[in-house]
Amino acid sequence: MGYKLKEGIFYAKSDEWVSLNEDIATVGISDYAQDKLGDIVYLEEVTKGKKVKQGEVFTTIESVKAASDLNAPVSGEVIEVNADVVSTPSIINQDPYDKGWIVKIKVENPSEVNNLMSDKEYSEYRKE
Amino acid sequence: MKYIPNTDNEKKGMLKEIGVSSFNELIKDIPENIRLKRALSIPGPFDEEEIKERVYLIAGKNVNFFSFKPLIGAGAYRHYIPEVIKAIVSREEFYTSYTPYQPEISQGNLQSMFELQTHLAKLTGMDVVVPSLYDGASAVAEAVLMAVRITHKNRIIVSSLVHPHYREVITTYTEPHDIEIIELPFDKGCTDFSDLKNQLNANTAAVVVQSPNFFGGIENIAAIASEIHDTGALLIHSIAESISLGLLTAPADMGVDIVAGESQSFGMDLNFGGPYNGYLATKTRFLRQLPGRIAGETVDKNGKRAFVMTMRAREQDIRREKATSNICSNHALNIVAANVYLSLLGKNGLYQVALLNTKAAHYLKRKFAETNNFEVFEYPFFNEFVVKSKIDISEVKNRLSRKSFIPPLRVDRFYKKCENYLLFTVTEIFKREELDKIIEILGVSR
Amino acid sequence: MKLIYEKSVEGRKGYFLREDPYKEISLKDCIPEYALSRTKKELPEVSEVDVVRHFTVLSKLNYGFDDGFYPLGSCTMKYNPKLNEHLALLDNFIYAHPCVDEDFVQGSLQIIYELNQYLSEITGMDQFTLSPAAGAHGELTGVLIMRKYFMDRGELRHKMLIPDSAHGTNPASAAMADFNVVEVKSNKRGGIDLVELHKLMDEDTVGLMLTNPNTVGLFDENIEEIAKVVHSKGGLLYYDGANLNALLGIARPGDAGFDIAHLNLHKTFSTPHGGGGPGAGPVGVKKHLVRYLPTPIVSYNGEKYFFEEVGEKSIGRLSAFFGNFSVLLKAYVWILSMGDEGLKETAKTSIINANYVMSKLKKFYKPVYDRFCMHECVLTGREYKKYGVKTLDIAKRLMDYGFHPPTIYFPHFEPYAEETIMIEPTESESKENIDLFIDTMIKIAEEIKAHPEIVKQAPHITPISRPDEVRAARNPTLIFKEINENR
Repeated sequence: MGYKLKEGIFYAKSDEWVSLNEDIATVGISDYAQDKLGDIVYLEEVTKGKKVKQGEVFTTIESVKAASDLNAPVSGEVIEVNADVVSTPSIINQDPYDKGWIVKIKVENPSEVNNLMSDKEYSEYRKE
Repeated sequence: MKYIPNTDNEKKGMLKEIGVSSFNELIKDIPENIRLKRALSIPGPFDEEEIKERVYLIAGKNVNFFSFKPLIGAGAYRHYIPEVIKAIVSREEFYTSYTPYQPEISQGNLQSMFELQTHLAKLTGMDVVVPSLYDGASAVAEAVLMAVRITHKNRIIVSSLVHPHYREVITTYTEPHDIEIIELPFDKGCTDFSDLKNQLNANTAAVVVQSPNFFGGIENIAAIASEIHDTGALLIHSIAESISLGLLTAPADMGVDIVAGESQSFGMDLNFGGPYNGYLATKTRFLRQLPGRIAGETVDKNGKRAFVMTMRAREQDIRREKATSNICSNHALNIVAANVYLSLLGKNGLYQVALLNTKAAHYLKRKFAETNNFEVFEYPFFNEFVVKSKIDISEVKNRLSRKSFIPPLRVDRFYKKCENYLLFTVTEIFKREELDKIIEILGVSR
Repeated sequence: MKLIYEKSVEGRKGYFLREDPYKEISLKDCIPEYALSRTKKELPEVSEVDVVRHFTVLSKLNYGFDDGFYPLGSCTMKYNPKLNEHLALLDNFIYAHPCVDEDFVQGSLQIIYELNQYLSEITGMDQFTLSPAAGAHGELTGVLIMRKYFMDRGELRHKMLIPDSAHGTNPASAAMADFNVVEVKSNKRGGIDLVELHKLMDEDTVGLMLTNPNTVGLFDENIEEIAKVVHSKGGLLYYDGANLNALLGIARPGDAGFDIAHLNLHKTFSTPHGGGGPGAGPVGVKKHLVRYLPTPIVSYNGEKYFFEEVGEKSIGRLSAFFGNFSVLLKAYVWILSMGDEGLKETAKTSIINANYVMSKLKKFYKPVYDRFCMHECVLTGREYKKYGVKTLDIAKRLMDYGFHPPTIYFPHFEPYAEETIMIEPTESESKENIDLFIDTMIKIAEEIKAHPEIVKQAPHITPISRPDEVRAARNPTLIFKEINENR
């Protein structure tokens, strides 16, 4: 597949990624997702303290001609929002895995990542 | 055949090139069972002259409306429409074009949308405008749904002097959604807000007030704004007679959150009720909850100013069941009409028209007060006011129509208890002498 | 181009109104201070000549049907007869107030009444409401009727089946009636997947919203079976009339098992699109649903036309008044112009024209389904991707040759319909115009191979080149503000 991947992180079927550092999860969208969306113009702001559940919508992301709900890849509480991507959403297009992270979540149950895919599995899943 | 250029011979030739011997081969997918095997029982085809005669005859069954000036408004107003508007909206480039999905060949429509957005922003004081929904009724219904989405609450308080048809449309739109609707009573010509405090609660999404209201009354909106906002609810201002904006305080300056208006008065014919044109105006922070099309300014590849439809991810063709509304076609041609009207009248013209409406209506009301046949009421109003008739209502109708006036609205049509009340509407189309004549007709005892 | 605001000159007037004849009345005595704007609203100040020139120039930046070929699939951009426009502007119609007593408006009511009858006959439905203002407004009416029907039967149903090929308005409308949208896949022949339909249709399902011919331009050959499946579980079958043009006088939704149908008078019945509206979206129903129609409807007692309330089961009111009367009138006039014979010829010609386009272009642009189509054909621009050219580019290039592009990227459903180019020539187009379009499409295919850049940068000769839509969405400028202006 022609899309960038990052190793050591987990991927959801709905194209979000999560990287876990103890009980803090950093969440973003995959290179595949940003490419499919095209130029991202807007990210609905998530409020700090918001409780999210694995697989449920936590925010919405928009490009010129598409809009997509983002599902929380893990359950927990939003403890930090990337203000840079809220003000300049194009960062997600440029650097989806690093500067383009979206929120940090204090996870309730780290074992939830077992429901997600590894980079290899995700690569297979999004093979075109 | 009329409007079909290709001849039978050409069609035969085309069928041959397609590779079939008959038209029927092309429609094999349509099961025989459901084919129509008879002629449709409809009249025609008629030639152009025959049709004109037929339709002229039918038109003749209406009263001669042009010479019958209406003393009725109630959400549909006869104002003078400058000829320029018809000349512009009857240009084929405007009326035969499609939705401006291809901005390179739609700058006329797109710029016009942007200009009307600006006009309406100037009139309402708001930041963002949806320049076209179907009408004032669907606009206020969409505003209510919008408020529910924004606040995640579901109680709506509506003034009973919001146009009765608008209230019915609100009910139709909200009925599937577990939304509770509370009505505020009225007192004389304005809403009675004394109970508002008790009705407002933590679950209230919005309060809907129309001003000028159905009785023409001007509501003191600024006075209720803060108590509404204190509970976290939004204030929706419905406007059926937008000419009033030429004179009245901008809604944004009164604490209004969403304006839901009808722009028929801006250059649109009465047309037996449509097409008119609704609009919404609100604050930037509610932009993404707006339904309908919005134009935005940008530049083209060469840096030249350009307009496009923007914030499109709200719309049904992109968001499908998660869209802010299902609206697709709007009343785009009426955007052009309203834009031309407001451009032409401009800063001074709109003020003048609004002023003349106010004064003419007040003149007539004062004259009524001097007769013995009508009881008048003291409340601030724009160009419509309610009186109680001491003469029989059908007598009022007869006297006026005999002299080529369309009689005013019987209020008991919508408010059962208001028997013998009439809602008079007076726009700038009435000359002072005509108003004197009306007094002459109605002021005498017999 | 400059905005009307940038042409404003202080003190200039475009409108002259007689002098205030009520000098004795003071404005302050009429309107309380709290309600009176302290300043005049800052609209532009321009002359009548300024306005006429401004809008005339603006109009020339637009492309209308009268300018040339407009093959927008699913939009039925047919000719808007001038006769219709003339008759819709008769004084007795345009000055008719909607709230007057019925004896003042017998003519307007007659138009509404008779159009209702004609539409019922054309579609095989029993009764129409003419009040919906547009197709989507008709859909809302339709789904609310479906909702009311089940409530009335004491049933609570939650799901609405909608094919993956449907217009976005269908799911959006279903959501407005609070139904959960369930997508039904298309099969490899371009119709509804019957196996899946059987699986999905249950007693919690309101029904199916179906466009037929569908958005890939095919008539669903299994329509009888589809109706059977939906009805067997007590569901209702909804007809989206976007593509009725193909069926006029040939087949009627009412005979094919549909319970409810909306039409688009601005598509099938020749009324103009007006740059996006106003249209009209009448909704017709079978007898068992008449009592749920929006209120009021127009009836006739042999002497007089009058409004009738539908009754307590009605879904209520949809519009401030009775819908878009002038649009209804234009459709009425068109029907009289065509008659039975003309309607049949309309359908037939539109189908021949579309198949002709497909037969000539399918070598160059692979059809989504290689079968005879109805009134529109759906091709794809997929094979040009390898030259770095997108379907969008092909559409843009057509403008340089004086055509309005077809609908692109719709319908979109995987794996069948991607990079679609949806062409609906309608009956209005002559063979030589269609040939010119075909030749141009072939020429563009050649250009892509030889000089892809020309196509990728297109259009070249339009009033503007491609606009920066990303910039428009990222930094929205939605009204004109003087302070931001440094042009």
